[in-house]
Amino acid sequence: MMLSSSNRWTTLLLDKLPLILLILIALFLPLLFSEYYLLLTGYILIAALLAQSFNLMFGFMGKLSFGHAGYFGIGAYTVALIATNTKIPLLFSIPAAIIVTGIIATIIGFFCVRRSGYYFAILTMAFSQLLFVIVYKWYGFTHGDDGIHAIPVPTFLDSSVAQYYFNLVLIGIAMAILWKITFSPFGYILRCMRDNPVRTEFNGIKLTRYQLIAFVIAALFAGFAGAIFTIFNRAVTPGIMDWTRSADPVIMTVIGGQFSFFGPLIGAVIFLFLQSYILGYTIFWPIIIGSILVIVVLFLPEGVTGLYQKILKAIKQKHQDKTKSELNKY
Amino acid sequence: MLLQTQALTKSFGRLIAVNEIDIEVQKGDLHAIIGPNGAGKSTFFNLLSGLLKPDSGKIFYRKEEITKLPPHRICQMGISKSFQVASIYPLLSVFENVQGALFSTKGKSLSFFSSAKKILVKETYRILENVELVDKADIPGGELSQGDRKQLELGIVLANEPELLLLDEPTAGMSPEETTGTMELIKRMRNERDLTIIFTEHDMSVVFGMATRISVLHQGSLIADGEPEKVRADEKVHKIYLGEEAN
Repeated sequence: MMLSSSNRWTTLLLDKLPLILLILIALFLPLLFSEYYLLLTGYILIAALLAQSFNLMFGFMGKLSFGHAGYFGIGAYTVALIATNTKIPLLFSIPAAIIVTGIIATIIGFFCVRRSGYYFAILTMAFSQLLFVIVYKWYGFTHGDDGIHAIPVPTFLDSSVAQYYFNLVLIGIAMAILWKITFSPFGYILRCMRDNPVRTEFNGIKLTRYQLIAFVIAALFAGFAGAIFTIFNRAVTPGIMDWTRSADPVIMTVIGGQFSFFGPLIGAVIFLFLQSYILGYTIFWPIIIGSILVIVVLFLPEGVTGLYQKILKAIKQKHQDKTKSELNKY
Repeated sequence: MLLQTQALTKSFGRLIAVNEIDIEVQKGDLHAIIGPNGAGKSTFFNLLSGLLKPDSGKIFYRKEEITKLPPHRICQMGISKSFQVASIYPLLSVFENVQGALFSTKGKSLSFFSSAKKILVKETYRILENVELVDKADIPGGELSQGDRKQLELGIVLANEPELLLLDEPTAGMSPEETTGTMELIKRMRNERDLTIIFTEHDMSVVFGMATRISVLHQGSLIADGEPEKVRADEKVHKIYLGEEAN
């Protein structure tokens, strides 16, 4: 079907518009909004990266992990412990956080990927909770429930604007890498494993091997998000890696849409914005987010981004019909 | 000799589905496995492809034992299988269906940082041309007709660049025209790519139109094996098909 070239540009623009808007707002945030929003957006970026990395497994490979916050916590605590116990510069602790998270995820993932569906979800939750309990109980090392506070950061991060751009740049780079991986041949194989694991296995792919690789990659990004969190938050507590925190990326992804790359990001924006707004008026935030989740699951199975795609498709269809009927006049 | 089974046996509870079957497949053969319903054809096929593990007996491929190998290893060794109900990727486009298989074959499946859209594109189109699905390249697999799905699956198994093809009822669900087309396609592929093919079929016109060798199963046992004319004349074969002649 031939669309006139202006129509083609219009649909292309509409497709990318929300993303372009978000990027523009993110780039110029300090000029547009108050410090409160700088802080909020900082947390949104970190939560978004956690949700995006979760979705590599969930939306693109079809495996639901209920333990992703565990790797976030490992990354966060690695940075915190290095910063408060050694003289190693804070920024070198970021690669360390990624490596430690990767090692732990490889061990845990090895056992989890050998199970399917529900058992995979339960196992990931159980292992993650195990990590939480270790951090919580090992008072001598992690300060348990007290958490680790007043983490020293380089002076260039003293200004909240500088800290904001630090988060933005690092998380932006991480998302770009995640994008590359998602749309690489490896990413396509993940989608094949999701849609028809038998066919994929019979095409010569050892399923558990590829699932483990995806599991570890997702955990690496989660650990990185945790590292950024510690630097940003200047403090960590065990609560960040409790299993209920693993539900956050799930909820954000479901609301935003699991089949679109930026779905989890959109979901994180919606979730955290609503949360901060509604908590200003009432304590009954859980009821509200719960209701939203039920509505989304029942009526918008592909989330907000899925709905947007459907609307775009309907507009495109209308344009095509209009063009067709105009051509028929001649 | 490309493939050999020795006393291959598989039971399900008290039902002996495959009973000590010895079959030899020569390179270049179009070897048909036939038999009435319940003869054990599907079970035998699943044993060959690695989906099921035998209770006893061995399978040799090019002199190597492959009996206990998992399906992905068997594929890597050069044996590719198509399923009775076409196993394809419904949400991916026809192009992506074949391309995904090529990624695996050509060792690109651990490529993390290149753009999948740009890789192995020409090769994918070549296969789509072979199975006559180029004009449907952008259609999701799930929207194809049954016959086209089987065609697509043929494209996928060809993308595995096999030496030996296992085709489970390749013309099941096809119209007479589609059946003839698929037979021609299979024969052409076999010649162009130097393939050996083992296939099961219910349609006798397909069997006798294509096979260079036929093995007949009945209630789990091999009761006849040899060239088509010999099998066609065999008394035992006639007996078991009596009453099945309506097919």
